[in-house]
Amino acid sequence: MVDSQDMVKKVFTQKSARIDTNKGEEYYNCLFENAKQRISMLQKQPALKDIDMIDVIESEGINRRDFMKWVSATTATLMLPPMFEPLVAQATELMNRVPVVWIELQDCAGNSEALLRSSAPTVDDLLFDVLSLEFHETLQAAAGHDADRQLEEAVEHFKGKYLLFVEGAIPMANDGKYGTIGASGETFHEHLMRMSKDAAAVVAVGTCATFGGIPAAAPNPTGAVGVMDLVKGKPVVNIPACPANPANMVGVILHFVLTGQIPELDSLLRPKFAFGYRIHDNCERRAHFDAGEFVEEWGDIGAQNNWCLYKVGCKGPMTFNNCSIIRYNEGTNWPVGVGRGCIGCSEPDFWDKYAYERPMANANIKAPTGGVEKTVDEFGLGLLTATTIGIGLHAVASAIAGKKSEQNEEE
Amino acid sequence: MTPIMRTIHWMNAICMVVAVATGLYIGYPYYQTLIADPAVDKYVMAWNRWGHFIAAIIFDVTAILIGYLYLFSNFEKPYKKILPTKKNFIEFCEVFFNLMTFNRRKKFDSSHSDSYNIMFFTLFHILLVFMLLTGLQLYVHGLGSGHSSIGAWWPWILHLSTDWTLSVFGGNMGVRIAHHTTMYLLIMWVMCHIYYQIWRTIFWQEGDIAIVFSGYKFAKNKKTEDK
Repeated sequence: MVDSQDMVKKVFTQKSARIDTNKGEEYYNCLFENAKQRISMLQKQPALKDIDMIDVIESEGINRRDFMKWVSATTATLMLPPMFEPLVAQATELMNRVPVVWIELQDCAGNSEALLRSSAPTVDDLLFDVLSLEFHETLQAAAGHDADRQLEEAVEHFKGKYLLFVEGAIPMANDGKYGTIGASGETFHEHLMRMSKDAAAVVAVGTCATFGGIPAAAPNPTGAVGVMDLVKGKPVVNIPACPANPANMVGVILHFVLTGQIPELDSLLRPKFAFGYRIHDNCERRAHFDAGEFVEEWGDIGAQNNWCLYKVGCKGPMTFNNCSIIRYNEGTNWPVGVGRGCIGCSEPDFWDKYAYERPMANANIKAPTGGVEKTVDEFGLGLLTATTIGIGLHAVASAIAGKKSEQNEEE
Repeated sequence: MTPIMRTIHWMNAICMVVAVATGLYIGYPYYQTLIADPAVDKYVMAWNRWGHFIAAIIFDVTAILIGYLYLFSNFEKPYKKILPTKKNFIEFCEVFFNLMTFNRRKKFDSSHSDSYNIMFFTLFHILLVFMLLTGLQLYVHGLGSGHSSIGAWWPWILHLSTDWTLSVFGGNMGVRIAHHTTMYLLIMWVMCHIYYQIWRTIFWQEGDIAIVFSGYKFAKNKKTEDK
């Protein structure tokens, strides 16, 4: 019964249908054994960078206890039971065994910025000292031909093993001439295809790389598209948001270190552990939404009392992400926490369909008639007015013509 | 109309008024709730959503009933009137001409529901089914765990029947805009519907408005008229 249900589900529904936060003891025991084997295998491998994680975090003034706190938070974020905590800690120490190549395309480097501000252990450490980041244009010292060579060597040396992180959209208009790299004039598209060919998995980071983001906003002059539209036959993980939350990036790498596989994905290829629920579902202002207590304008009594931001344009009820749980900037805060609405930055077409900072009813979105900028409500009211006029005209005409026909009958 | 059909009609009418009123509130909470009660006691949005969902679920059930009657009714099977036959086509055009010539030309049998009317109602129910599917898609967002108070089968069915709307309208905001826009089409339809029924009552002089109250209307007997 369950099998046939699953089969039908596979055919007709998107993969996002269910977020299983508890897959049962059997599953976790099996995963635990696999992860243990994988970790002992990684331990035998020579480190790509000869640096001890614990030394690094201790030198930064983070004690073992803080580290273990981070470990349990991260284990929970990955939706794994607490028994995985020791393994997650070990995996963190083995992050220098998994090579990461980070390429940047049509973007603003905001995701690199976000990664630098990841939560403890600060990813400055993770990144420069522990994580084997083999190539990152923005962060590395090498430039020009040296940088090119470094990339070639990394790709050659870690063929089939490295995680390719992609930041930024890919311009496809005009044969991709809107974005080229280096002296060879290779287009972003060619570059992405060449780099992804030998990657173990491709991780698209940020809304530009996942769904095209701001570069793909109407009228999309560069013909920007996301990674998943181009890279086929390879595992692709999407971590949208603007910027993508570093906790989710670290989560994906950790999951890969731990299991050798990418995490479970939804229909938009987003990891379910991070994008399974709407931010609305865990929002601290949710009670005020249900109560009908809304901020009407900035600075009013509602705003002072942390009421719901839905009426000033919050898109939380439509946005799938975990920012209401893990927050940003080392867990300090997040948009709704500082008193402004969510703009749905991790959803497809976010700039065109979400990012107007007004509620739906006051938004200038494209009417289904296309072209003219109109809100749905203006469009709808127009339709109703036209209908009323039509009915009115017909009624008046009927009244006049109807009398005539009666006269005709009498005659 | 049979008693069941009339009951369904008025239930639909009430549900629609409730759904529009609460739907507009959900989209843009248009009345203030500055009541000095704590948030846990007033629950205004929650009540609106409750009303919206209850109206929607009654709508859904009647839609299934109507779908059944459409095909298997013991009285008139409406689907027979929309089959693309020559007879139906001519009838459709004649009723349309009747409306457009302000009742100067009436060359069809008005004692039963005609092809034009059935097309008109079919369109309405297609719109309703569309509202049902897009609405349930918006609703199932909140059931990410795959569980619900009545079991896992419910979100499963909802995903099964409505996930295609995500690809058609480009994500959940697209579905939401489609859902909201269709509301206007439905209101338009209702305006036309009420107008047409009143118009028929006045011009055909067969008491059409009574159909939905008593179930019957008068039909002019051509033979007696001719004498």
